[in-house]
Amino acid sequence: MFPLKDAHLGAHTFFASALPHDVCGSNGLPLTPNSIRILGRFQILKTVIHPRLCQYVDISRGKHGKVEAEECDPSLVGTHPLVLHIAYQVLEGLEYMNKHGMVHRALGLRNILLDRLGSVKLAKFGLYHMTDHGEDVDFPIGYPSYLAPEVIAQGFVHSNDPTYSEKPPPSSPKVDVWSLGMILFELCVGRRLLQNIEISEKLKFILTLGYIDDIVTVLAEEHGCLELIKELPGSVLNLLKKCLTFLPSKRLTPAELLIDMLFVEIAPLYKPFQKPVGLFSSSLRCMDLNLPEDIGELCKEEEEDCLTERSIDEVYYLWCLAGGDLEKELTNKGIIQSKPPVCTLPNFLLEDGEVFGQGRDRSFLLDDTTVTLSLCQLKNRLKDVSGEAYYPLLEDEQSNLPQSNNTNELTAAVNLPLIIRERDTEYQLHRIILFDRLLKAYPFKKNQIWKEARIDIPPLLRGLTWAALLGIEGDIQAKYDAIDKDTPIPTDRQIEVDIPRCHQYDELLSSPEGHVKFRRVLKAWVVSHPDLVYWQGESISILIFASLAYACMSSFIPKYLYNFFLKDNSHVIQEYLTVFSQMIAFHDPELSNHLNEIGFIPDLYAIPWFLTMFTHVFPLHKIFHLWDTLLLGNSSFPFCIGVAILQQLRDRLLANGFNECILLFSDLPEIDIERCVRESINLFCWTPKSATYRQHAQTPKPPSDNNGFNKSSYFSADYQDLPKTDLVSYC
Amino acid sequence: MQVIEGSSSMKKTKGKSSTTEREFVFEFKAGKQSCHLSVPLNFPVEENISDLHGRLMLLHNLPCFIEKDLKQSLEIFIEDQTNQDRDIDSELALQKIKMGQVDMDHLTKAWSKAYTETTLEHAKPEEPNWDEDFADVYHELIHSPASETLLNLEHNYFVSISELISERDMELKKLQERQSHEMDEVMQGLGKTRSDHDVNTVAAKHFDSQQELENKWASELKQLTSIQKQEYQEWVMKLHQDLQNPNNSSVNEEIKVQPSQLRGSHEGNERLYEEQRQLEESFTIHLGAQLKTMHNLRLIRADVLDFCKHKRNHRSGIKLHRLQTALSLYSTSLCGLVLLVDNRINSYSGIKRDFATVCQECTDFHFLPLEEQLKIIQQVVLYARIQRNSKVKNHPDVLKNGSSEDKYKNIERNPSNIFPGEFYITRHSNLSEVHIVFHLCVDDNVRSGNITARDPAIMGLRNILKVCCTHDITTITIPLLLVHDMSEEMTIPWCLKRAELVFKCVKGFMMEMASWDGGISRTVQFLVPRSISEEMFYQLSNMLPQIFRVSSTLTLTSKR
Repeated sequence: MFPLKDAHLGAHTFFASALPHDVCGSNGLPLTPNSIRILGRFQILKTVIHPRLCQYVDISRGKHGKVEAEECDPSLVGTHPLVLHIAYQVLEGLEYMNKHGMVHRALGLRNILLDRLGSVKLAKFGLYHMTDHGEDVDFPIGYPSYLAPEVIAQGFVHSNDPTYSEKPPPSSPKVDVWSLGMILFELCVGRRLLQNIEISEKLKFILTLGYIDDIVTVLAEEHGCLELIKELPGSVLNLLKKCLTFLPSKRLTPAELLIDMLFVEIAPLYKPFQKPVGLFSSSLRCMDLNLPEDIGELCKEEEEDCLTERSIDEVYYLWCLAGGDLEKELTNKGIIQSKPPVCTLPNFLLEDGEVFGQGRDRSFLLDDTTVTLSLCQLKNRLKDVSGEAYYPLLEDEQSNLPQSNNTNELTAAVNLPLIIRERDTEYQLHRIILFDRLLKAYPFKKNQIWKEARIDIPPLLRGLTWAALLGIEGDIQAKYDAIDKDTPIPTDRQIEVDIPRCHQYDELLSSPEGHVKFRRVLKAWVVSHPDLVYWQGESISILIFASLAYACMSSFIPKYLYNFFLKDNSHVIQEYLTVFSQMIAFHDPELSNHLNEIGFIPDLYAIPWFLTMFTHVFPLHKIFHLWDTLLLGNSSFPFCIGVAILQQLRDRLLANGFNECILLFSDLPEIDIERCVRESINLFCWTPKSATYRQHAQTPKPPSDNNGFNKSSYFSADYQDLPKTDLVSYC
Repeated sequence: MQVIEGSSSMKKTKGKSSTTEREFVFEFKAGKQSCHLSVPLNFPVEENISDLHGRLMLLHNLPCFIEKDLKQSLEIFIEDQTNQDRDIDSELALQKIKMGQVDMDHLTKAWSKAYTETTLEHAKPEEPNWDEDFADVYHELIHSPASETLLNLEHNYFVSISELISERDMELKKLQERQSHEMDEVMQGLGKTRSDHDVNTVAAKHFDSQQELENKWASELKQLTSIQKQEYQEWVMKLHQDLQNPNNSSVNEEIKVQPSQLRGSHEGNERLYEEQRQLEESFTIHLGAQLKTMHNLRLIRADVLDFCKHKRNHRSGIKLHRLQTALSLYSTSLCGLVLLVDNRINSYSGIKRDFATVCQECTDFHFLPLEEQLKIIQQVVLYARIQRNSKVKNHPDVLKNGSSEDKYKNIERNPSNIFPGEFYITRHSNLSEVHIVFHLCVDDNVRSGNITARDPAIMGLRNILKVCCTHDITTITIPLLLVHDMSEEMTIPWCLKRAELVFKCVKGFMMEMASWDGGISRTVQFLVPRSISEEMFYQLSNMLPQIFRVSSTLTLTSKR
């Protein structure tokens, strides 16, 4: 993720097309709304990072199928005289996109952005991809003047139009080359092509270009600028001709064009882009790091705006915390104009829900403009944060909270409730910076991560932090790729059924893309552990590792759910539950007596709790908090959570008999999760270790295992052994 | 050594998106042995390339030193082939045009239509719309200090309308008294001086004069209403202009004087408003399996038109109610009401007539009068029938079961009627607690005991809730028993059974709603007729928490 530098945040919005009323998919469930499908496909765009492409940061789904995409723009300056350079950079961007299986399709002058240094960034490159080749939206993607002839020839079919059954095939990367040719032509002659003609005439003109040989000359004649074209240097003219080749089979792809002789001179000026090495990979992260000869040079750069050195998604996250609201911003700029709902009501509805008498709302039209978001509010908010705060020292082992001791305010903030802390811009800024730096030093700084995680985990870096807490190392992506996830196996059916049942209120998890990913992770797990079988609840428990799912799962399950997923797991569960009832008896004898009296044994309610590690019971945002703590405790911590939940329901349980209790648990009332976490930590500290001993628990690893890397010996990653003292210090 | 991947059965999907199978061949050398790997791939390739690669490595036990090469050549192969396919596709399309198989005009028209219909850049500029401008202005004013002025003005108009109405009622009453007096005289003379014929002529004369009088008043009312509406709209616009340039605020002053006039102005002719005890009970519930949304439910025993009538004897209450309704009129929290009607769109009889009377009591300054809205709806219904018929003709497989065929015959006989489960929507700014009225068509079936969850009336409720979702109607009032008046066959078991059905269905629909709009908390009011007993009401209010899960009370003092 690049630092923000002088880029801006931009936002644009569009409407997904509405689904026909009440149509069911092949599996009998209602169809996923198009906006959710778009949201699912958008996720991959976040990972497409290239200096020639704008960075997509976030997408949010508004009311009534409105989608807002967030992307990052560099500041836009005028056009650049060097056509070849622009062409080369655009092609670089296109080539990188094509590698990821994407096509721009909406290439146009306003989507090619230039920054002050003259380097190019392509904007809106993901629109065609995230709308499933334009399927999910009503509007055609692309600008009429730049559409390639084959795109026009394939026709535009409205997705809701029942008279056409076949849809146009997805465009090939060569479509963009044509558009680029048209754009470059405009740049060369300095005027817009086909400007004052009607759209249908424009398109007809483009189609008729196929009957002539020299497209460039004809275009020039048509626009009365033959002189200008003739004066162009040969290489530029050559490039134009190559781009504006009518037949797709003769036109080059961006990748081919890049290595063309045309660019022989300027290609060496641009270094090929290399993806920065991620946290978990087999290659060395410091491989390309070279310090300048004189360290002093590094310090010379004058104190600029430190915020701009943070990465784009951090800035966006902070922007949101500082009161940024996409929808409001767009409304202020007049991009989203909504009529009052009372004016747009339909007149009449049939029994099957078909609507009549509703006018087409103009606000549903596509407005192509991108709105620049102002960072002023965020900068104001953070203006008191000193420069040092952006670079906290990590080596200072003495102080407990290296950065937060600086200001009294922050130490005060630590005592606030978690929900408030997660909304506090400055506090989050400090936490994110600290965790970011700690994670960069992972696994060297592992023990400090543990220490900080005990205070809280910033939501932005939760995935990575959890992975660090679980002690994941190595090139997990390669490992994951190597597992066979395609071959059908008997558990497929079960997985298929379970997935649509998990946390479907979350937009991401209910999108088809989410389902596919989820399924692959599950299958990978099942296949790589042949001695264990898939157990229904399992899907839910892993669900919350949105990223790094496989690796986290394979280290999470052995820790907490050791042997739970064996084929015959009855004895393990029996033991677990016995220990659990023991725990209840230990902490709350009165409740325990009552439950025993009415015969309400843990088997009746607690199995799904432990099998899914409570994910089945709570909504996601609560699970996150619960798991933040859960990951810090050892394998007996779940008992404490269980007891804490029971204590919250204590009054009602004591008052009720068996039937009411069953009902109560079948539809669990709201649980105050923060209180639950707090109480469970207390319980954990009071519980003697022997009380939670289980025969089937995982045997702790010998501590020498994981210290091969580092000499500082007190750093022992095996916190499973001594979590008690840790949590005590937390209390 | 030759490795051949077992080909998976090829599926031909219909249409153009058929797949073709191609052989991917990879050769490598291990020591002296040269190996040959061939994999059939289906194009277009949909699976993940790195997954495919991983699987190949695993299944065929390939040595790790070819890992990189294999991946690279696999990627190149797939990319090349895909591009080739696409080239062929696109050239085919170009060819078609060249050969004249596709009409170029038709094609480009479709494109330009798509552009003009869906993008702002190419769309025709919007013609100024008076209604929307007015809506904006009004919404701005009602949320400004000028709101009081506006409300006073509205109230003034309301008073003059009610004066007119009471005058009308008085005159009608007088006429009726005079006529009955006359009729009595005639009846007494029947058989002596008068014949049957005479009685009939007198009755006809009476009827005529009554009609005439009614018509006269109706036209007068209509005239007054339209004058008021026009005046009001002009006022609002002027007020808005004045507020924008405050130098010239004559209008504002002018209205401020008026409130004094209305004090006690109609105390004398106040109609007797019989206030029965209205029973009401509220619940807060949580819905949803994991993520829970809070909703408010209310069980009310009242008359359905109580939500529409302005109550006269609550002097301070009127204004508050009015303000509340006016504030939210153009907002995103509207109030709706379900009114059960028969299959004809008019306002001649029954509850429809009563509703129309209530609507007349106060001028609607924002929307068309009820009759005109109904006229528009009648046209829309005719249009909908035509659409539907043409669709049915095109796809005759839509109706297979006999019942719907009957229905379609019925439609052809009388296309302006609507059917159970269908509903039309009217908008009002002049009712006391409601903006939107859903006129849901029901038949006599709802009076019988055995309706199911698939009944058209219930499906209509579902569609109503769906409209509530898409149009930000956050408060909706539903007749719980699906009737407005009780009759003899509606016994206690009947009521309980019906209430349970509606509760359960509405619960289901509300859970479904969460997936439509992402869980917005709403208020659903269940209305029971005024004539049910108090005992019955409490039985129903006991039933509600058994069906919906009522949220637990929050204890602020923690017990430790």
